[in-house]
Amino acid sequence: MSLPGARWLRRRRALVGLAVHRVVGRLRSSPQRVVLSVLGVALAVALVVAVTGVALGLTAESVVQNDDTDFWVVPEQSTAESVAVSSGGVKLGDVHAVSERIERDERVDYATPVALSVVPVTDRTTGETEYVLAAGIIPREGQELFGLSTTPLAPGDPHYANGSYDGPWTGEAVVNDAAASITNSSEGEELQVARTGTNRSFRVLNVSQGEAGFGFGSAPIAVVHLSELQSATGLAESDQADQILVSTNDPAVRSDLASLYPHTTVVTKRGLSAQQASTSNLPLAVGLSALLSALVVGVLFIATLMGLEVSADRATLGTLATLGFASRSRSLLIGCETLVVAVVGGLVGVAVGAGSIGVVNRVVGAQFGIAEVAVFDPLLVPYGLVVAAVVGVVGSVYPIYLGRRTDVLEVLSE
Amino acid sequence: MSSRNQERGVAREGATETEVIAACESLVREYTRGSGGGWFGSGSLPTVRALDGVSLSVRRGEIVGIEGPSGSGKSTLLHLLAALDTPTAGELRVAGEDVRRLSERGRAKLRLEHVGLVFQRFHLLPALSARANVALPLVELGWSKRQRRERATSLLADVGLGERATHRPGQLSGGEQQRVAIARALATEPDLLIADEPTGELDTATGRQVLDLFEDLGEDHAIVLASHDQPTLAIADRVISLRDGRVQGADR
Repeated sequence: MSLPGARWLRRRRALVGLAVHRVVGRLRSSPQRVVLSVLGVALAVALVVAVTGVALGLTAESVVQNDDTDFWVVPEQSTAESVAVSSGGVKLGDVHAVSERIERDERVDYATPVALSVVPVTDRTTGETEYVLAAGIIPREGQELFGLSTTPLAPGDPHYANGSYDGPWTGEAVVNDAAASITNSSEGEELQVARTGTNRSFRVLNVSQGEAGFGFGSAPIAVVHLSELQSATGLAESDQADQILVSTNDPAVRSDLASLYPHTTVVTKRGLSAQQASTSNLPLAVGLSALLSALVVGVLFIATLMGLEVSADRATLGTLATLGFASRSRSLLIGCETLVVAVVGGLVGVAVGAGSIGVVNRVVGAQFGIAEVAVFDPLLVPYGLVVAAVVGVVGSVYPIYLGRRTDVLEVLSE
Repeated sequence: MSSRNQERGVAREGATETEVIAACESLVREYTRGSGGGWFGSGSLPTVRALDGVSLSVRRGEIVGIEGPSGSGKSTLLHLLAALDTPTAGELRVAGEDVRRLSERGRAKLRLEHVGLVFQRFHLLPALSARANVALPLVELGWSKRQRRERATSLLADVGLGERATHRPGQLSGGEQQRVAIARALATEPDLLIADEPTGELDTATGRQVLDLFEDLGEDHAIVLASHDQPTLAIADRVISLRDGRVQGADR
């Protein structure tokens, strides 16, 4: 490094050190404004961490709930739709054959396509049309989907009949309480599909307390055989489904799954993956709203309080000017001080946000019996700190402006 | 004039022409009174002439005192010599630089490298130790931490505060704070030392100690000090009297 370059770097490093020193010194001598600034940023960051945690919770729950499932093979969708309710979105094709191929891998316990469709059914009492979310799968014993056991359904997918869709129609359905309630049906009764061009119906084998777990309360759900749902909804053409659930103990399976289809994504059970973040409008909107609110609140807070701090500290800024500190150096000092305060606020905010997630989960669990509404992902720590840093950088503009306006001669004459 | 001044004066007379550190010629500084009328302001605002045709030169090894009542232009002259301000008219050169031609950044650099300032109210940073305060200008100069520390420690020892290096300004007496301020002003080895009422906040005994320091420094620096206080001005080789922005009579 050249000598002037080294000197420049040393000067910058020393100015940063001076900024830290001054913030610590202020915390010792007159901490009120610094503490308030830290708390302001902490509040904003805690808000963004807690709300993003809730959004992550929504996102993590937005895939089909099945405790045995480790991977979901889902289409890459251009629209941010929830995986679970993307009944009108991009479909996977030839899903029976692909699932069989996946199951032939000895590392895989099982694989089943899942077709999701909002199906109109006729209310037996009133004759009115009601809508249920129908999930078509290839059932197996001991399997659960949306919290509904598929054991009562005949194993396999007899109607598929090697792609001819002329096998026996079982018409079997397992429904949750909400679906039974809105269709006025109970075990052994028929659910007539109210769709033009079909006279298909399903027979309720079992009603149980399933839970969609989308975070929107209890949705009416019916689990049926995949090929029968495909036939009733027009998905039989090209053997379409929305996703393939894969249960395995071997994480290496993921790379094989990714190569099954072009333009698909393999989603893991939980985590802050881009797919999860982008596949649901609501969590994304919630997260973005929290981010914007936090930025606005944080910036206003720190800009105001650090602006007051600069005004109160005009004598020091004037002194630095008399000593020969260039305007740029003084601005850097103010910027660094604001950033230091913001990052400290960020650290406090992340801690408070993490605590808030725990509290939210505990309260919601106690009040509503929901296990986990918010998720604390470790990535929220750097996320919160980056938000705090952005708040610090943007919030430093006003104090720097005030600092540059400081009239040295006026300060000296006071 | 003190005996030490007399010794210095004899030495100076014997030497060849010494280096002029600061010089001004027909210096004028006017200030506009009022804040203007905004977008629709009436234009001409009354001006106040704080300095009116002041000429002065200060050489290395010389202590020049400036006296005058409040409003006479002492502080204005000091601010101009320190390149904190620019003249409205006239010539002003400090350390060979034409101050009128310098940008704000250039004037800051000039102050950093060639001018040391000592104030009546010390203007130390309260959050920093005495050593950190002294080392402050060296931060802007880009010195390493070790260099800064060594230089500040040495300067504090020179002003008799070697044992107080880690104390904060609030833990020091007024005289000690002023000595820290002098050490800070000397940190960059400036050519010109400017002091504005350096003993104004000090008792007589402490003020005397500070003046002794200035006398010792007078050998290597050009010093300009403004004061109302006659004992303070007594250390000066010559005293310029300002009245209404003009130099009154001959130098004393």
